[in-house]
Amino acid sequence: MVDRVERLTNLLALLLETAEPLSLVQIAGELEGQYADTERAQRAAFERDKAALRDIGVPIETEVVAGGPYAGQTRYRIDRRAYELADLELDADEVRALQVAVAAVRTGSSASKEAIWKLGGALGSARPAVSAVIPERPELPTIRAAVAAKSTIGFAYRGERRTVDPWGLLLRGGFWYVIGHDHDRGERRTFRVDRFEGDAGDIVVGPPESFDRPASFDPRTAFPADPKEIGHRPDADPDAIVQVDAVRAAAVEGELGADRVVERLPDGAIRVRVPASNRPAFRSWVLGLLDHAVVLEPADARDEMVAWLEGAQ
Amino acid sequence: MSGPRNAEERLKRLLVMLPWLMEVGEVPLSEVAARFEMTGAQVQQDLELVAMCGLPPFVDEMIDVFVDDGVVFVGVPRLFTRPLRLTAPEAFSLVTSARAAMELPGADMSGPLGRGLAKLAAALADVGLDAGSTHDTSGVAIDLARPRFTDELADAVAAGAEVRIRYYTPARDETSERTVVPRHVFAEAGNWYVRADDDRSGQRRTFRIDRIEQLEPTGVLHPVDEGDPAEAPDGFFVDADVPRAVLRLGPQAMWVTDQYPVDAVHPVRNRPGWTEVTLPVSSDRWLAKLVIRLGAQAELVAPVDVRDTIARLVQSMLENYRAGDT
Repeated sequence: MVDRVERLTNLLALLLETAEPLSLVQIAGELEGQYADTERAQRAAFERDKAALRDIGVPIETEVVAGGPYAGQTRYRIDRRAYELADLELDADEVRALQVAVAAVRTGSSASKEAIWKLGGALGSARPAVSAVIPERPELPTIRAAVAAKSTIGFAYRGERRTVDPWGLLLRGGFWYVIGHDHDRGERRTFRVDRFEGDAGDIVVGPPESFDRPASFDPRTAFPADPKEIGHRPDADPDAIVQVDAVRAAAVEGELGADRVVERLPDGAIRVRVPASNRPAFRSWVLGLLDHAVVLEPADARDEMVAWLEGAQ
Repeated sequence: MSGPRNAEERLKRLLVMLPWLMEVGEVPLSEVAARFEMTGAQVQQDLELVAMCGLPPFVDEMIDVFVDDGVVFVGVPRLFTRPLRLTAPEAFSLVTSARAAMELPGADMSGPLGRGLAKLAAALADVGLDAGSTHDTSGVAIDLARPRFTDELADAVAAGAEVRIRYYTPARDETSERTVVPRHVFAEAGNWYVRADDDRSGQRRTFRIDRIEQLEPTGVLHPVDEGDPAEAPDGFFVDADVPRAVLRLGPQAMWVTDQYPVDAVHPVRNRPGWTEVTLPVSSDRWLAKLVIRLGAQAELVAPVDVRDTIARLVQSMLENYRAGDT
C-alpha cells in the first residue's frame, strides 16, 4: 500500500497541474494503484484525502458536467490562485517583528507558528524578555471567523439557546468574551467564551454580512475592566469612602491611583474613593483586603458589610 | 516533534519546507530539522518520500531532492515553489499574536510590527475577512493592562539591572524588602509576573507585579547568562505539592471554579445548585479570605482548623467597624 503522504502529494500535484477538471475515475486512473479498486472504497478514500487537503488550506473545487455523455459527473481541480500565498509584500523587518510576536505570545495552538513558516520566517531559539500566554479555546476559530464575516451565531449559554450578532471578541483578565447584539434580549450582551455549552462544533454560524457593527463599537470599552465600575455612573452615583491601613495603603494607592486618595492619616493609613454601585464587586474588593480596610460611608454600604461579617461567623 | 505523525501534518510541513529549501539551495539536514521542529530522520524520511512523487505527463519534472552526507539538495518543480496560502485560522492566530504583542511593554505601533499587522489585515480583507485595522480595534481586541512597574521591570530584564523591591506576600500578610534581578516578564491568566533571581532565597522566583509596592534600581548590572534562559514557567499555578481544601459552593459562588484551578467538582446531594469542589490552596490565609468573600455562599468542609483562622479574621474585621463608630 502506498504511503498516504505520497498519495496526497500526488493528488495535489495532479489537481494543480491539470488543465481540465478531472473526475474521480480519471484521478484514480492517473494515480494508478494508489486508490482501492472498488468504487465505494475509492470514493471513501478520496473524500478523506479531500478533507485532509482542505484542512491544511487547499480548497478543492468541484464542478458538475452540464451536458454531453458525462452529464451529471462531478469533476475536481485546485485553483492555483486560491492555493498559493498571496504576496503580502512584507519587508524582512516586518516578518522578523511578526516572528518575535509569535515567539513572545503563547497561544496553545500551532497555527501562528505555521503561518510564520509560510511567510518564510522561523521561530528559532530567540528568548524574548517579555511574553504573554493567550488562552486558546476550541470555540475561538469559529467565533473569530463569524466576527470577521459578520455572521450571526447561535449557541447554548447557561442552559438557553442564544442568537447573537458577534460585534467583537475581547481578551481581558485571562478570559475571552464575545460582545454583540442578543436577538432575544434585544440589546447588547457580553458572553464568556469558556462558558459556551457543548462542543465548538455546536455553534451555529449564519450567512456572512448579516449585520452591521456599530461604527463606534470598540470591544475594549464595551464593559469596564474593573468590575467595581460596572453599572457605575460617575456623575450620578456617590463613591464609597474606604479607609485602608498602613500595611496595604501603598498597594491600594498603586492600584487605584493617587487621585483616588482623599485623606492621608498620620499613622500611614489612607482614605480612598471607590465606586460602589456594583455592591457584590465592591464588597468582594473590600473583603479581599481583610482586616486592613474599613468602609466609612455611605452608611448603607457600611451596614451591609457589618451584616455580611456577622453572617459569616 | 515526537510520536506518530499523521499524513496531514507531514504534508503540511513538506509544503512549507519545499519552497524554503528551493530558495536556500543546499542546507545541512540538522538545520532543516531544527527550523521545522522535526528530527533529522523525519526530515530525511519525508524528503525521500516526496522524491518519488510527481506524475508525468501532468508534471514535467519530478521533485528532485536528495540527502547526501547530512546535507539536503533540492530542486523542486515549479509546482511547489510557493508556499500554501494562510488558512483563515492561521491568519487569525497570527493577527491575535501580533495584537497581543502590541500590548507588551515597548511595543511600537508605528514600527515594523504595526506595519506587518496592517499588511496582514489588508490581505485578510481582500479575501472578505475583516480583522480590523491596526489602530481600530474593532473585531478582536486584547487587553493586557499592565500594573505599574511592569515597564520598568521589562527594561531591567533587557539591561540585566538589579532592582530593590518592596513586595507584599498575602500568605503571610506582610511586606518584605528584596533585591532581585528580573529575568523575564510575562502575562498569564489575567496577571503580570516577573521571574527574577532573588537574593533572599538565592533562587529564581516568580513575583506578581501588582504586589510590588515599591521599586528602585540599585545601579548594579548582572548581564544575562545566555546559557540560563528564564522563561515563563509551564503551569506554575497548579503545584502537585500544594495542600487541598474542600469547599461547598452556592450557585452565586460558582465563579470560583472559573477563576481558580480546581481538581474535582461534584454536585451536593439534596442541595440543588450547590457544588462541592476540591482546590489547591497556597495558604490558610488565602483560603480564609476566599471563604469570607463568599460569605453565606460557601461552606468550608476541610481542612477544619482553618475555621479558627476565619473566625479570628472576621472578629478582627468586625472590631475595626465597632472601633470606627465615632
